[in-house]
Amino acid sequence: MIRVSYKKQLSDFLLDVDFTMPDTGITVLFGPSGSGKTSVLNLIAGLDTTGPDEESNHFQNTSNFILNNNIIDDSNKKIKLKPWLRNIAYVFQDHRLFPHLTVKDNILFGYKRRNCELDPQDLIETFKIKTLLTHTPAELSGGQKQRVAMVRALLSQPQLLILDEPLAALDYPSRQELLPYIEQVHKELAIPVIYVSHDIKEVLRLADYIVVMDKGKIIDQGDIANLCISQPLLTQQEGASFILEGRVSEIIEEDKLVKIDCGEDILITAENMPLEQNVRILIHARDVSLCLTPPVDSSILNCIAVIIEELQTDKNAKLRVLAKLGDQTIVAVISHRSAKSLNVVKGQKMYAQFKATALIK
Amino acid sequence: MIELAPIFVTLKLATVTTLILLLIGTPIAWWLSSTRSQFKVIIESVVALPLVLPPTVLGFYLLLALSPNGFIGGLWAYVSDTPLSFSFTGLVIGSVIYSMPFVVQPLQASFEMVGKPVQQAAYTLGANSFDTFKNIIIPLSRRGFLVAITLGFAHTVGEFGVVLMIGGNIPEVTQVLSIVIYDHVEVLEYTQAHYYSIGLLIFSFVVLFITYSFNRKLMVRI
Repeated sequence: MIRVSYKKQLSDFLLDVDFTMPDTGITVLFGPSGSGKTSVLNLIAGLDTTGPDEESNHFQNTSNFILNNNIIDDSNKKIKLKPWLRNIAYVFQDHRLFPHLTVKDNILFGYKRRNCELDPQDLIETFKIKTLLTHTPAELSGGQKQRVAMVRALLSQPQLLILDEPLAALDYPSRQELLPYIEQVHKELAIPVIYVSHDIKEVLRLADYIVVMDKGKIIDQGDIANLCISQPLLTQQEGASFILEGRVSEIIEEDKLVKIDCGEDILITAENMPLEQNVRILIHARDVSLCLTPPVDSSILNCIAVIIEELQTDKNAKLRVLAKLGDQTIVAVISHRSAKSLNVVKGQKMYAQFKATALIK
Repeated sequence: MIELAPIFVTLKLATVTTLILLLIGTPIAWWLSSTRSQFKVIIESVVALPLVLPPTVLGFYLLLALSPNGFIGGLWAYVSDTPLSFSFTGLVIGSVIYSMPFVVQPLQASFEMVGKPVQQAAYTLGANSFDTFKNIIIPLSRRGFLVAITLGFAHTVGEFGVVLMIGGNIPEVTQVLSIVIYDHVEVLEYTQAHYYSIGLLIFSFVVLFITYSFNRKLMVRI
């Protein structure tokens, strides 16, 4: 368990965050620019540079940061570990490779300074940087630089990996190239990752847990699946959305569709999707309709059996219906009138219909 | 005739001064480049004083301080039983102060250019501040060091006013080239003055030329 709690007067607002994140998987720190995300990261990594004018407010600054039962920061106990003693690796937006060292010396910089049990060769292969080892950073492309920066960070065998918008400075193709590597990191190495982003696509694709920030405060946090339902803001869509996770089970090339097994089979418009790939699908609740019997002769491709779990009235006086598909939740927004005429009640089996939406990954 | 002694004294003075300046100038420049202290501006101004003060002013106060009745000179005489004024050591002290900005300023500028970002990256990879300074900051500041060494050395070679005030003109001890030239001109020995002057001119040009061409090669691409 990782506990992060900081209160600190910044030049333009009071940063006041307190959250507990799981010690596996990717925790995304999400929020608009200027919401204090990078300040939180710098406090966590011990890189925060407090100016003299900020220091005068220090009496109201508090900190409590515990990583794997080790106290990293604690204002009560007057503990503040130096950044080099924290074992927290940081991949910056701007790669920050050492320009005077070769790629090889860059990635071994942290490795030599910590008793790292990882084999550099494994990571060199995983990140496909073998041919770059003798180059200097200036000779690399943006995407290559970030891959090297990731390997460098991982080879310091961190207890926590911070990724601060590692894709932000890259063009679209390089982003697409780098994303799978980031996913691989958290699959192959059991390191908790804090990932900062204000790009909702990245968030939905990568996040296991999410902390939403605005103006220095945390406005929501939770598992990604739950948070999408409760936080329409997050998906920048009116009304609720939800995520279904599944695996590609069939590719129907002539119709440009793939079949995804999410407990039930769902058809999605997609191309170039490898079989067995794990995917997430984002579906907007307003695109989902409910019926009592599976319709025949419908143009809508997807129709899955669900069990009604909960009915909520939303602020537009519509009825939000939460239903279970295995252990996943789907959401539909219907009118009270439809609910009455269909007699929707908790525990009922119904059929949810929706079109073949696009994939997140 | 050209005497060799003033050349040796000059080179010895410039070398010793440059070495001492590297030893004390590097930490000062590092502190100036990284501190947020309110004393920063004061120290910066003190270091830069020799740039604007007439050498005679600096020389005058150094003469007072280094004399056996002065604070430093008195202390020195008490410890070593020799006078500090009109000695080679006194000359070194004066030169160190006088050439200080020529070493500290390029170093400070290049430390500032390397900047916080790579330093922070090194910290998160387990390097403490000294380790980071030694393995990241210094190698990335090598152009700054080259400029600092050259300017420190060349400026000490070209020093006149301060030396005249505190060094006297003792052959083989404190008599440096710039003073010898002055002496020759004063007694209208223009030929000798020419020898030394043209020598210094060529020497200074060659040193700067080598430094600046080397400087381009040292540039680290980012």
